[in-house]
Amino acid sequence: MNRIEERLQQVKERGSKAFITYMTAGLPDMAGSAAILKAQAEAGIDVIELGIPFSDPVADGPVIQAASYRAIQKGANLKKIFEMVRQVRSEGCEVPIVFMMYFNTAMYYGLAAFAAKCAEVGVDGLIIPDLPYEEQPQMTKVLDETPGAPILIQLVTPASGDRIPMILENARGFVYCVSSMGVTGQEADFHRNVVSYLEQVKAVSKIPVMMGFGIRTAADVEPMKNTIDGCIVGSHFIRLMEESNYSTDVAKDYVRTFKAQMNGEKG
Amino acid sequence: MSSKYYGEFGGQYVAETLMNTLAELERAFEDAIRDPKFWEEYHYYLREYVGRETPLYYAKRLSEKYGTKIYLKREDLNHTGAHKINNVIGQILLARRMGKTKVIAETGAGQHGVATATGAALFDMECKVYMGSEDIERQHLNVMRMEMLGAKVVSVQSGSNTLKDATNEAIRTWAKEAEDTFYVIGSAVGPHPYPRMVKEFQKCISIEAKRQFMEKEGRLPDVVMACVGGGSNSIGMFADFIDEPGVELIGVEAAGMGIETGKHASAMALGRPGVLHGMRSYLLQDDDGNVQLAHSISAGLDYPGVGPEHAYLRDSGRAQYVSVTDDEAMEALAELCRLEGIIPAIESAHALAYAFRKAKTMTKEQAIVLCLSGRGDKDAHTIESYFSGKGYMN
Ligand SMILES: Cc1ncc(COP(=O)(O)O)c(C=O)c1O
Repeated sequence: MNRIEERLQQVKERGSKAFITYMTAGLPDMAGSAAILKAQAEAGIDVIELGIPFSDPVADGPVIQAASYRAIQKGANLKKIFEMVRQVRSEGCEVPIVFMMYFNTAMYYGLAAFAAKCAEVGVDGLIIPDLPYEEQPQMTKVLDETPGAPILIQLVTPASGDRIPMILENARGFVYCVSSMGVTGQEADFHRNVVSYLEQVKAVSKIPVMMGFGIRTAADVEPMKNTIDGCIVGSHFIRLMEESNYSTDVAKDYVRTFKAQMNGEKG
Repeated sequence: MSSKYYGEFGGQYVAETLMNTLAELERAFEDAIRDPKFWEEYHYYLREYVGRETPLYYAKRLSEKYGTKIYLKREDLNHTGAHKINNVIGQILLARRMGKTKVIAETGAGQHGVATATGAALFDMECKVYMGSEDIERQHLNVMRMEMLGAKVVSVQSGSNTLKDATNEAIRTWAKEAEDTFYVIGSAVGPHPYPRMVKEFQKCISIEAKRQFMEKEGRLPDVVMACVGGGSNSIGMFADFIDEPGVELIGVEAAGMGIETGKHASAMALGRPGVLHGMRSYLLQDDDGNVQLAHSISAGLDYPGVGPEHAYLRDSGRAQYVSVTDDEAMEALAELCRLEGIIPAIESAHALAYAFRKAKTMTKEQAIVLCLSGRGDKDAHTIESYFSGKGYMN
């Protein structure tokens, strides 16, 4: 079983909500990036999204754009990030890892080689925001042909409307429910109909529904807590890491507090 | 493959947020182009406001010097000084038909920004133009023109602070504001249906040129050529000739300081297929698959990608794509000034430079039709610093 599916199944059996963070890979450098990943795993994070830096992150807001740019300046690239995943896996770290990346990065690497490499080093999922459902067949075909290949995570947004059942039909892992229109990191500025939209997704989804974009604290998702199965924090986590000079203690503390509060325990 | 593609190129590589927006746009576009009233209005504005049709001018002195007939399709005589306005009129009429009240656009040199600001003023729409902070510095005159026309110029500071980043930011804004906002893309690029739409609205160039040439020469031209940035003036110039197998089609990209220096904008010379701005096409990329910066003395050709239909025309062999350096283009520019009394845009001078090379292989009876996409007023500053730097001007 895929690590994401396995982990989310356990979370569900415990009756809890899952917590996912996003961090641009390669910051402050490759070693520091691995340290943050392991610290979060230790603190009980359910899934880690690693952002693969790209020159033109068109689905991202200013925080992730800037992080992506800095990571490239520091020499981060897909090859080094594969090595980092291989390394943390060899140290026994089994946290589910998802690559959040733009399609060009995978295309340039070669789709078949990319899928094989993901399977080899232990990448469990892919989020490719510029690869909408209709453009996915080329990628899905390659993933289907590669043993142990990652799951292609599906995204839905408040504008998806009648597209939702089609997108979710064969979705695996979890559904990434984008909370607002536009790009990542809009500070809890959720879509005006966010709750009814989440309920609509939940009603047709056979897999966990995770909400992301603009979330900072557990309080931000309190109003929709009973609908979603968990949430994803990106820009805010990056900002925390920058402000603390990439402190692994801050990372651990943030993950523990968020998870506890979201699950109604004392932080 | 569906009609969203030109062979393996094109597509809709955008965020899920935009998929219904693109579907809405496609429906509106298909509906509009089947409505004679839409075309009637489009042609009304092209005639009465833009000043079409533009002349197909027989450049006598150039033709004599280079030994073949050279005809110039004078898009430089359009209102706002380039072909860009043809497309803007079409897209803004469509926006209005869709009930949108705001338009956004990206711009590099500022030509498409000025054209969009012009159209927005004409049709009373709110207009924001995204422009890289680097380009705002370099193209101050056009920034001022856009502001005079009532547009808000938004400075983009991300990545390389140029056209590709301004396009990213326009796409981001569109994803947020699509409910009341229409994104007016300035070249034959972007997700489907944009490349088709831009071609449809630039097609007037070749429809006129074909008829005009026929009237003058009683036949079809031997060669049709245009410069290629994103590919809008060239696709407009090619459109009505694509199905005429006897007509050779040539697109001219910018070779900047030379292809071998890496400082160029020829997506199709060495580029490999990639995905940027919602389309799969040829794209300049580095060893990690990041988009590489383009370089050209002409801001309008300074783009790392190219429209998907050109990628397809190249691979199918229907059109040929070549490139011309900064120096060759500037020399051709000076030549047109002196021999014909026309100061062309530096973009258009790239096509001219190759026409001079091509003419050497042609006879006196043969003919080239070349799209003179714009006038050089906007480039006065660049032209001056180039020639004074070279000591050509005194
Ligand atoms: C005069 C002129 N010609 C050509 C271009 C290149 O664009 P395209 O390839 O879309 O025609 C531009 C772009 O700004 C321009 O201003």
